[in-house]
Amino acid sequence: MIVRPVQITDLPALLALAQQARPELTGLQLNEERMTHRVRWACRTFAEQVDRADADYLFVLVDDEQQILGISALTGGIGLREPWYNYRVGLTHSASPRLGIQRQIPTLFLNNELSGQSEISSLYLRADQRGGSHGRLLALGRLLFVAEFAHLFGNKLIAGLRGRADEQGCSPFWDSLGRHFFKMDFSQAHHLSGLGHKAFIAELMPRQPLYTCLLSEQAQAAIGKAHPNSEAALKILSAEGFTHNGHIDLFDGGPVIEAPVAAIRSVRESQLLVLDTGTADDQAPLWLIHNRRLENCRITSARARLVGNTLVVDRLTAKRLQLQPGDSVRAVPLLNQRQQAVAA
Amino acid sequence: MLVLRPVEPTDLPQLQRLARESLVGVTSLPDDNERLRDKILDSCKSFASDTCKPGAENYLFVLEDLTTGRLAGCSEILATAGAEGPFYSLRNRPFTSTSRELNIEHGVPALSLCQDLSSHTLLRGLHIDPALSRTPHGELLSRARLLFIAAHARRFADTVITEIVGYSDDLGQSPFWDAVGKHFFDLPYVEAERLCGLESRTFLAELMPHYPIYVPMLPRAAQDCIGKVHPEGQAAFDILAREGFETNSYVDLFDAGPTLFARTSAIRSIVRSLRAIVLPGAIIDACGRYLVSNESLAGYRAIVADLQPVAGQPVTLDAHMCAALQVSEGDAIRLVAL
Repeated sequence: MIVRPVQITDLPALLALAQQARPELTGLQLNEERMTHRVRWACRTFAEQVDRADADYLFVLVDDEQQILGISALTGGIGLREPWYNYRVGLTHSASPRLGIQRQIPTLFLNNELSGQSEISSLYLRADQRGGSHGRLLALGRLLFVAEFAHLFGNKLIAGLRGRADEQGCSPFWDSLGRHFFKMDFSQAHHLSGLGHKAFIAELMPRQPLYTCLLSEQAQAAIGKAHPNSEAALKILSAEGFTHNGHIDLFDGGPVIEAPVAAIRSVRESQLLVLDTGTADDQAPLWLIHNRRLENCRITSARARLVGNTLVVDRLTAKRLQLQPGDSVRAVPLLNQRQQAVAA
Repeated sequence: MLVLRPVEPTDLPQLQRLARESLVGVTSLPDDNERLRDKILDSCKSFASDTCKPGAENYLFVLEDLTTGRLAGCSEILATAGAEGPFYSLRNRPFTSTSRELNIEHGVPALSLCQDLSSHTLLRGLHIDPALSRTPHGELLSRARLLFIAAHARRFADTVITEIVGYSDDLGQSPFWDAVGKHFFDLPYVEAERLCGLESRTFLAELMPHYPIYVPMLPRAAQDCIGKVHPEGQAAFDILAREGFETNSYVDLFDAGPTLFARTSAIRSIVRSLRAIVLPGAIIDACGRYLVSNESLAGYRAIVADLQPVAGQPVTLDAHMCAALQVSEGDAIRLVAL
């Protein structure tokens, strides 16, 4: 199992995957033409032919039979071509000392504060592959990639998690807020946003802050809350050091979590090691390993022994990484220490 | 006979009775002895001043039954709405959403706090004995203020506004307050209105929402209150509507009741009122009912009278009328058809 850059030959498999992902992952709802464009663009990105502002790194998770099991994405920098908006949940304080009244009213501030940061997005793992460590490989592989090529990214990584919605896919946050300004339903607006029509957000939404007490109760309850389908991703990223600092999605109120690149566990604890092959050890911990290449990037997870500054893996792992003994790798334990303790 | 006249210090006990009976939304009539006394003194000072431009003067009138001495109502003119601190209102204007890319353009109504109306002259504090509502004396109580403005135009702005009490139910619940004000003031509607009359209004500035409130985000019942008149405020509304006052985009901060607006030069009682000279005598066949006032300041009086005026000629008033208006032969009066 490896994570590698998407290739143009992956297109048919990707389209099939996107079909499956349809209700869950609006960002992947692309027709063939747009998907082709996105894949070509990703190939150019990995070939370092595009500016950071336009960079769209698209990774796929493939097994040894070259079957595509999942997808994840990473952008160079958001909001550098056109404004990227979200809300920050702040507070309005007011007080009347004479009457002894004090109020703290949560207030939404439209902002571009996350402009220039890099976004991880579009994570999708085939339903039959969930529950193991594949999701972790797909999610964290990107972080190791960022550790290796930090100069290609912003100071922070951010991730917008899907917000609450009912069985029909309706978002209470949208119904109470965005709907009034867009005069379209949530899925339509989200679709347009996913297609890259970002400017319309700026054009249609009010610039002035909004008091949350004027939203419906359901909408207030949805602020900063992730959809149940996003909870697994939230858990993985939280363990990596991502936190929610009050930024939420303009459409569904879902949390936008963030972490300074240097503070992310997979980045901070990753080491440059020399690869060696040896006997597999069933007791050894799982490592996340990157071959340190950009265009030919390969990232995998495997049991490995750390001996000095040498990482000993089995021959199949080295082959998956397209490396020989003596080559340099960047690696980090797949689980943080607390998770390892739990796993043991 | 009922006569409208400036308030006097001895009116205090009766004024307090009127204040107690008045609608919750009539905040300029606090049921508070000390404040009412200040109000009376302030009014006396205003009538006595020789100002020739609108300032902080507040003219308080009462409607007195000359036979019994009982006061049946009161009304006020504040020369400058913002004289006692900023005059806050909510402005209802559409926020325009336009996207060229998506070919969308629509307006979303939004309420924004403003002080736009601060420089206008404000009619307020109207309260009348319910038995006299929708009678000629109800007209007198409201419109005599307009005749006063006509007679002393330099003391007032060239635009006049008034706030009509907005909707609240029999239990004193205002759906608009419950959806908006309550969040910011943490008070029941009735209490907030009461404080408005009693306290310095700085608490308004301290607590009120400064960012726009988008109307479609409010519950239906609150939206329906915007510009809606309290049933007991309808008579006052109707009188001024007939005078040419119009609603505009401003509503009250607390209950979203409408604000009425008119240019002084377009107010019917001002434009159509006639000046005439008094001729005491007997009225033989009156042909119409009129509001009649003298042209005094501190001695201002206004009544309802059945007269037979002829253009360009002195107007005959009987002895009761002359006494009520405190006029004698040759004095100037102003009259307008009821």
